[in-house]
Parts: sequence; C-alpha cells; structure tokens
Amino acid sequence: METFSIIFAIFLGGAVLTYFAGKLSSVVQDILFLATVLVPTYLFFSGVSIGSSMPFSLEGISLLWGVNHFGWLFSLIVLGLGSLAAVYSVGYMKGKERRGYFYLNFVLSVMSMLGIVISQDLISFFIFWEIMTWSSYLMVIYSGNDVQRIGIKYFVFSAIGAYAMLMAIVIVHSVTHTFFIEDMIQAYGQMSLQLQIWIPILFLLAFAVKAAMMPLHVWAPGAYSNAPMAYTSLFSGALSKMGVYGMVIILVTMVNRLPQGILFREVLAWLGGITAAMGTLWAIKQDDAKKLLAYSSVAQLGYIIVGVSIGTELAMMAGLFLAVMHALFKGTLFMVVGAIEKQTGTTNFTEVTGLIRKMPWTFFAALMGIIALAGIPPLGGFIGKWMLYESLITSDHYLLVILIFFSSTAAFLYCYKFLFGFFLGQEEKEWAHVKEAPATMVVPMVLMGIFMVVLGTFPGIVLNPINNGLMDLGYVDSYKHLWETSIIFNSWGDHVILQPILYSIMGIFIFFLIFVLWKGYKGTRYVTTKDISSSGEVPKEDENLTFSVGFMQPFMRAVAPVMRRQMDKYYTGFANGLEGLFDFVRRIYTGNAQTYAVYVVVFIVIVLLFKDVLF
Amino acid sequence: MDSSLFQLLDYGVYGTAILVMLIGLYGALVKKSLLKVVIGLSVMESGLNLLIVALGYLKGGTAPIFSDGFLNGTNKVMVDPVPQALVLTAIVIGFGVTAVALSLVIRLYRHHGTLNIDEIKNLKW
Amino acid sequence: MVGTPVLFVAIPLLAAFLIPLLGMIWKELVRIVPGLVLIYLMVLSVNLLNHVLVNGPIVEVIAGWAPPFGINLVFSAFSGFLVTLMVFLGLIVWIYSYRFKRNVGFEPAKKYFLLLMMLVTGAVGIVLTGDIFNMFVFIEITGISGYALTAFYTGRDSAEASFKYLMLGSIASTLLLLAIMILYSQLGTLNMAEIATKIHTVKPAYKVISLILFITALGIEAEIFPLNGWAPDAYAEAPGPVGAAFAGIVVKASVYAIIRYIYTIFDISGAYDFLIIIGMVTLIIAEFAAIRQEKLKRMLAYSSIGQMGLVLVAFGFGTKEGVFAALFLMLNHAIIKSLLFLSGSYLVYNSKDKTIAEVNGMHKFLPITSFLFALGAFAIVGLPPFAGFWSKLSVLTAAADSHMLFVMSLILMVSVVELVYYLRVVNRIYFFKKEESVEAKKPTFNALIAMLVLGALILVIGFYPDVITGVIHKASADLMDKTKYINDVLSIKQ
Repeated sequence: METFSIIFAIFLGGAVLTYFAGKLSSVVQDILFLATVLVPTYLFFSGVSIGSSMPFSLEGISLLWGVNHFGWLFSLIVLGLGSLAAVYSVGYMKGKERRGYFYLNFVLSVMSMLGIVISQDLISFFIFWEIMTWSSYLMVIYSGNDVQRIGIKYFVFSAIGAYAMLMAIVIVHSVTHTFFIEDMIQAYGQMSLQLQIWIPILFLLAFAVKAAMMPLHVWAPGAYSNAPMAYTSLFSGALSKMGVYGMVIILVTMVNRLPQGILFREVLAWLGGITAAMGTLWAIKQDDAKKLLAYSSVAQLGYIIVGVSIGTELAMMAGLFLAVMHALFKGTLFMVVGAIEKQTGTTNFTEVTGLIRKMPWTFFAALMGIIALAGIPPLGGFIGKWMLYESLITSDHYLLVILIFFSSTAAFLYCYKFLFGFFLGQEEKEWAHVKEAPATMVVPMVLMGIFMVVLGTFPGIVLNPINNGLMDLGYVDSYKHLWETSIIFNSWGDHVILQPILYSIMGIFIFFLIFVLWKGYKGTRYVTTKDISSSGEVPKEDENLTFSVGFMQPFMRAVAPVMRRQMDKYYTGFANGLEGLFDFVRRIYTGNAQTYAVYVVVFIVIVLLFKDVLF
Repeated sequence: MDSSLFQLLDYGVYGTAILVMLIGLYGALVKKSLLKVVIGLSVMESGLNLLIVALGYLKGGTAPIFSDGFLNGTNKVMVDPVPQALVLTAIVIGFGVTAVALSLVIRLYRHHGTLNIDEIKNLKW
Repeated sequence: MVGTPVLFVAIPLLAAFLIPLLGMIWKELVRIVPGLVLIYLMVLSVNLLNHVLVNGPIVEVIAGWAPPFGINLVFSAFSGFLVTLMVFLGLIVWIYSYRFKRNVGFEPAKKYFLLLMMLVTGAVGIVLTGDIFNMFVFIEITGISGYALTAFYTGRDSAEASFKYLMLGSIASTLLLLAIMILYSQLGTLNMAEIATKIHTVKPAYKVISLILFITALGIEAEIFPLNGWAPDAYAEAPGPVGAAFAGIVVKASVYAIIRYIYTIFDISGAYDFLIIIGMVTLIIAEFAAIRQEKLKRMLAYSSIGQMGLVLVAFGFGTKEGVFAALFLMLNHAIIKSLLFLSGSYLVYNSKDKTIAEVNGMHKFLPITSFLFALGAFAIVGLPPFAGFWSKLSVLTAAADSHMLFVMSLILMVSVVELVYYLRVVNRIYFFKKEESVEAKKPTFNALIAMLVLGALILVIGFYPDVITGVIHKASADLMDKTKYINDVLSIKQ
C-alpha cells in the first residue's frame, strides 16, 4: 500500500521543511505547514480504503500497518480535528516566537496519532506512541514556563505508562513470539492467569495516563494549560483519545475474552466515574479558563472511560460517541480560549468579561461547545450522555449512574462560569478595544460549532462508523436496532434520527435565545462593575467585583473535604523522597581515592565469601 | 625431613611474596601521604612479581638459557621461562606506571601544597 | 585481502612513536598522520570485516610461533565488529580534535595525538589478541595513555582525577596479573583457546578465584560498581573528546575482555547470573547518582557507567538475543554517548565550573550543538525513532525471553530516572535564561562535522536499524559459538 508511505513521507519531510522555511518567510512557512497537514489528510481519506494494509519488516520484526473501521473512526478525529486546528494555528501563531518549533511538533503529533490508529502491531504502535509523547511534551514546554516541573511531570507520567506498555509488549512477545495485536488478543484467552491479570494492568497504565484517568491525571491540568491553545485543542481533543483508542482495541477486546473479566471492567468503570466527579469539582474551582477546561477534559474523559469499560453495545456506542463529541467541543472550547488569549492577553475569568459584543463568532462557538459539553439538547453531547445513562441503568450500575449524574449536573456550574465569565456580564473599559479574532481562527471554531449542531440532529453520521468499528472488534451489529436499546432513537429508515421531541426543545431554545438577545439589545442600561452600592458602601476602584470572583463558594465549602486530598501532593512527596535517596546514593562516591580502593578490596572479599552461592 | 623443610621453604617463599603484596596493599589503602601510596602500589607489584617468579621456579633448575651445561645434558631441569618473561614485562609496565604516578604527585603537590590524600578531594559525589 | 590484523596494532603504535619525530619535520604532520592512520585502519577494518563475515575468522600468528605457543590475533565477526567500532570512534575523535592545536599549543597537541594513538592501539589490541598475557599488556598500554590523557589539561582537578584512575588502575593490573598467574600455574598456557579447552581440568576453587580476580580487575576498567570510583572524575576532568574515547573505546574494550573470559575461556555458568547482578547494581547506582549531579560531564559519566551496567546485564542473559542486544547497545552507546560528550563539552566550554546550570539558554548561541545534544539525549533514553530505542527494545525482548521480568521492570524504572535528568538538561539549554558570565564558544568546523556524522548515524540507525543489525547478528553468533573459536585458533599451523 503505497499511500501509507507517501503520507508519512509527506508528514516527515513537510515537518522538517516547514521548520526550516521559517528562515525564508513566514507566509511560505504557513503555507507549507497547512499543506503538510492537509495534503496527507486528503490522501488518507481519498486514497486509503478501509481494509487496506501494508506489511513490512524492520530489524527482523514483521510489522503491519492497516486501516480497519475502528481505526478509521479515530483517524477521522485525528485528521479532522488536526486539519481544523492547523488552520487555527496559522492565525494563532501569527507574530509568536518559535513558530517553526510549533509547526514541527504539531505535524509530528498528527503524524504519530495517525500512526497509532493504523498500527496493527505493537511495535509500531509503541513507536508512534512515544513519538506522540515527546512531540506533545515539546509542545507542553513550548512557552518555557515552569518546564522543569510541568513538562517533566508530564513526560515522567507518560514514560511510566509507556514503559509499562513496553513491558507488556515484550512479555506478550516472549509468550506468543509475535507482535501483531490481533494475535495477542487471540492468544490472551489461553495465557496463564498471572499474565491475564498483569498484561491488562500494564497496558492500562499507559492508556490511563494518556486519558488522564485518576489517579494518573495530575499531569493534565498543567500540561493542557501550558501548551499553546492551538495545540491544546488537539491535545485534549485528539491526543487524549489515543488512550481511549488503546483501551478499546486492546483492553476491552482482551477482557471480553475472559469470563472473569467483569471485575476488571467494574474497577475501570469506577475509576472513570471518580475521575469524572473529581475532575468536575476541580474544574469548578478554577479561575483560569485553561485550567478549567483542562480539569473539564479530565472529567469528560472519565465519562468516556465509563462508557467503554462497561462494554455493552450501547455503552461502547455512548463512550465512543462522547469521544467524538468531546473532540469537537473541547477542541472548540480550547480554540475559544486561545482566541480570547490572543485578543486580550489573559484567560482569567476574573479579568475578562463581557466579550459577547466584541467577539460574537467566538461566542457562538463557545456557546455551542458549552451546550454540547453540558449535555443539553439538542446538541450531540446530550445524545451521548443519554445513551451513557441508559446503558448504565440497563446494566445495573445504579451507583455509578448517581455519580455520573452528579458530576454531569455539577458540570453546569463551570459551563455557566465559562460562558458568563468571558462573554456576558458587564463590559469592562479595559476590554473596549478588543476585536474579533482573525478569520483563520474563527472559521475552524464556527465550523466545529456547526458540526456539533448537525451531529445533534443526525447522530447517525458518527454512530454508523462507530457501529462498523465495533463490529470489527467482534461486537454484533446494533446500529439497526439502536432504537430498541435506547429510547431516544427511533426506527425511521436507515439513519437513526432523534425523537421529534428534541426538535420542539430546540425550537423553544431558539425562541428563548432570540428573545433574550432582542431584549438584551433593547432594554439594557450599560453599567460597569463598580456602578453599584451595597449597604451604603461604594466599592473601591481596586476591588475586583467581577462575577466570577469567589464563584460558588458555598458549594466548594461543602465539597472541600473531598478535595483536600490532592494526589499531586503525594506524588510530589514521593518524588522528593526519591531525590533524597539519589542524593544519598551519590555520596557513595566520596572523592577519596583510598576509599575507592577499599571498595575494590571489599568487593573481592564479599564475592569470595559468597563464591559458592554465586558460582 | 629434608623434603618437608624444602616444602616449608617453598611455602615460605610464596608466603613472603604474598606478605609483601599485602604490605603494599596496606600502604596504598591506609597511608595518607601520596608518596607512600605510590610506594605501596609499587611494593604490591614487586610482591606479585616475586610470587610469579617463585611459581615458575623448579628445585635445582637452571636458567632457561641454552647454556653449555644444558646442552651437555648434565642438568636437564630448567625453570619455566614464561613467568620470567612475564615478570620482565610487568616490571617495565610497573616502572612506567610509577613514573606517571610520581609526575602526577608532583602536580598535585604544586596545586594543593600538600600530599595528604584526604585533602585532595575536590571531585566527589 | 588488503591487510592482516597485525596492522591494527603495528601501524598506530608505529605512528605513535613517529609523531614526535614527524613533528620536527613539519608541525602539521602531528595532526595529519594520526588521521591518515585512522582512515587507513577504518578502510582496513571494514574490508576485513566484510571478508570475515563471508569467509570466517582470520587468525594471525605473530613471530612464527603457532598457537598455543605464540601470540595470535583473532579477527572474527565479533572482534572485528568491535574493532571497526573503535577505529570509527577514534576517527571521529580525531576529526573532532583536529584543530585542537589552536587552543592548546603545539607541544600538548603532539602529546595528545600520540596518546590517542596509543589508546587506540591498546584498545584494539585487547579486542584482537588471543593471549591473556598479551591482553594484560594492551590493557596497561590503554591504561597508561588513559591516565596521561585524563591529566591532559594541566589543572588541579585533572591531576586528581588522573591519580584516582591510576591508583585503581594499578590495583587492577596487579589483580589481573595475579589471575593470569593462577591460570598459568594450573594450565601452563596463556593462549585463550588452549585455556578454554583445558579449563575443565582446573580445580573449581582455583577457577573461581581466578575468575573473580579477572572480573574485579577488568571491572575496574569497565566501570562496574563499586569498582568505578575513578570513572566519574576521569570523564569529567578529561578533555571532551577523551571522555568520548573513554566511553566509546576504552570501556568497550574492557567489557569485551570480561565477556571473552566469561563466554569463551571459563566454563562457569554462575558467572552469567553474576553479570546480571553486578550489571543491575551498577545501572541502578549510577543512574541514581547521575540525577543529582551538578556538573554536566560528570552526569554524562554516570550515565555512561549506567549504560555499561545495562550492557553487562544483557550479556548476562547468556542467550543469543541477549548478546545481540548487548552488542547493539554497545554500538548505540558508543555513538550516542560520544555525541553527548563532544557536544556537551562545547556547551560548557567557557564556563568556569562546567556546571549544568551554565548550559542555560545555550541554544541561541550554539544552535546546532544544542540540537545535537538534545538529539543525543533523546536517543540515549531510548525514545523512538532514534537509535537507542532499538537497542533498548532488544534488551527488553531478551530479558523477557529469559523470563527475567524483575530485571526488566528494574531496567524500565531506571530508564525513567535517566529520562528525567537528560530532559532537565535539554530544558535548560532551550528554555532557561542564559547566564551573563558564560560566553559561548562556537564549535570549529571539523568538530561540527564529527558531531553531525554521529547525529546522522543516530537517525539512520533509528529509522532503518537493518543497516547494522545483520552484522551484529553475525557477531553475536560468533561470540556464542565457543567451539568454533577454539577450533579456528588451534587448527592454525605454522
């Protein structure tokens, strides 16, 4: 299959060329960058048919690249979001430093993610996984802020995960003598019990780190908010999905072969549920939009993990549908934050307010993203959440439903905070000069907003590929019967379309929107935040009275006991302890030549004493 | 009685050689002066050389040279020539090492103003 | 055939002695001649290696005495591979330090190239020789030139480092000679192949004691913990290219010696497990010590020690996969660590204390050097798609195939530590503010060439490891086949 080689050659060559084109002119660099991302995308979707594969061998290891339905679904996320984010990046990166560096790593990330979804063997899977890790790491440290802490934390967690996966890979290889994923899954059922327990756990470590699952999520807030926003939309939207992808193609399919795999699924589902709840609580607390969205990403991936780990047809569909939706809405929201950051220079809710009139298109994208995130009909997020609840209830996970429902409801708080903090509220004089973001940034955001609306009405566009992908993994064809398993679908024709009730909800919603906007334009008196008095006191100039300050304090006080235990602290303590140990170890090298000579003598004596044991 | 005395003497030679080695090792490991350390290392090598020659020795053997006595067949026993050759080589090498060591000691003394090995540890950890 | 193995020893040795004389004729010859010699040796070794891979090993008899009486040199796939690697690194070091004279004056440059030639002679001799006493002599040649090169910069600390090296080195030589004599007194021969055929007749106590002495003595040179006290100091204080030569040439030769003893000469199976134990301890201690270092080259030294520990672990598996992994690792380590030493020494060129903090922000002034350092750092921690990944993968595969899961998990945990300290340095180079006091020194053109060649090799092996793995497979098969080695050597008649 030549197209694969061409695609990867373009990616690699284009990345390097783009990097050096910065020396010529920035326009050439932008064009090269766009071509490097868009041309392979076009080639992939036009030239690669599902089922095509390319076997080859490297260093005596036979490798296999190929596209199946499931990989195709994720390549849609990767390349779709990648292309839009690439267009957005061109606008975002205008006038910033280290553009070549950004473009290079962006392309490498997209390439490696595509590589992951077309890898049919564990070695190329691992290679692309690692390339993805280090290219995203280089993006995390792009800004140079706090690189030694945030950057290395991200890389260390990723590396621990990746090495765990590598360990699993070589253990599997020592048993089956093959690196093909298919063969590994086939052989899994016949392995010894010990391996059957350890191999999923080792794989899970890798995937859980990338999917930012509790308790391995601590890298996520820092890394997401530290990377440039143009990249974070890809990072959170697509890169974290690679964890989900891995969970599905390796863990779920493997565990499906076990009669006693139920326990594993339950544990994973509960971890996902806890991740969702804690992520939501932490998100509410944040005052920085980047951090808020980062924690929100952690939480949303929790839902997805719950879905795929429950493992019934409906739950898988729900999880994967949410994965696609999350790529869309979280990609959009990070782009929104990026646009706001670019136009105002800050992303703090307590500073930026009232941008709705300054950045209307951005507001539209943000609104769509928030509606989808919160799971409000009629956008796609609602469908995913509904399917998730329903699948949990039908598989008797009532406690989990409560947990998910709690976090889903609590998510409204931060959604509201996000929307209101940035766009609504009183306008501040400081932001009077702010203009709408450039077209290259607005168009991708708005396009994605429109996609979300479309998916809300025609979920079949995504559910059909998901169904095909699941059939690849050995699930029965459930697409045609979806209306039997979930009540929000009906049986109209081939495409599953929503119940008409959703249209009425949408109508009401649009009516209210128009009403509110109209009222807003007509009868509002413009005031500033300081234009108030309470109990006869007039606020001072330097007091921050923005709506988002101290948001939801009573609620946060109520959940404070849960949030006091921060995983991060334990990890930091552990790391500090290790550094102490390292410091102690290096004192073995005292610097005195005679001590070293004594070591030699002691070595000989010890080895001689134990020679019967050793030799 | 005769033979056991010779045996004792044999062991005595080995023992002496090993003792010399250990003395050298002691000097290298314990003495604080750099010069004494170098002397200790040299002594250790000498002891080893002694041991090697002793290992190759045969009672009543002659030097491993095609001498008149050897050719005439009056005394056919000769000591093993290989250890002696080895020892010669080892002595030369030891000489070279000692020379380098002493030149380093001179430099260390110039820079530090002392020969105390405990005070010469800028490089550590 | 274009030459014989003896040229590998004779020509550089001759060149070493001629260098001072040639310097009297024309000063430039001091720099040019070593290069010509190394280029010739490179061509020779590649040719011979090609020949050997097809036609089987070349055993050369010196001075007309057939084995087991005379000294013989063995150029097999295994030793030929290592010789080629060493000569290549010697060549790289020569290219790198070609314009050395400019910085240090004529007189030291003369000594430098002389000693470099001696170093290469000794190391190549260790690998080629088939006689244990001859190996001792070569080890001493390597050692003495190593002491002198360590003390090359006439500063206070370099003398200290050199003295430590010398002290441990002479203890090592005493132990080595003792071990040789124990074997000789039992078997009456010094020829490796001959010893290997007779070793089963030796009483186990003597055998084990001499093996322990061998491992200790060679372990001092091969930087095994706890025998490696000299190594960090020597690496840190020697000039950058000498550090590269130590990592790439000297240590490789010492590891070769250990492996030759354990794999070919002795028949003690417990030695393999012992290799794993000491290798693991060395790896763990060295990587732990590396993470808290303040000086750049010292950190690289500890990292180098750790990698050698990993090599020993891979050899300790005793399987064909293990040997393959170990040889691959040796190759990668030689290339990558040399690159790190060469580029790293430019990063701290003008700083006073050579601390890691002084590389801050260097990428603006030394873009290519910084990039190459970063590339080396990424490669050595085993990130794909760079060279280090494949060797790490083969080590782990070999470990899993030998059911050493505990060892494997330890290796991976230590890899995380390794990752952290390399990333910290790379982050400093690229993202920290430059210190005002440190002035960057631009690398000379030839130094740049040397580093770029190494960098290119890292990428080539990373993207297409098959270029080299065929040779390594044959080399590892050659090492594993003990009887063939014995037959090849002993069947040689005058």
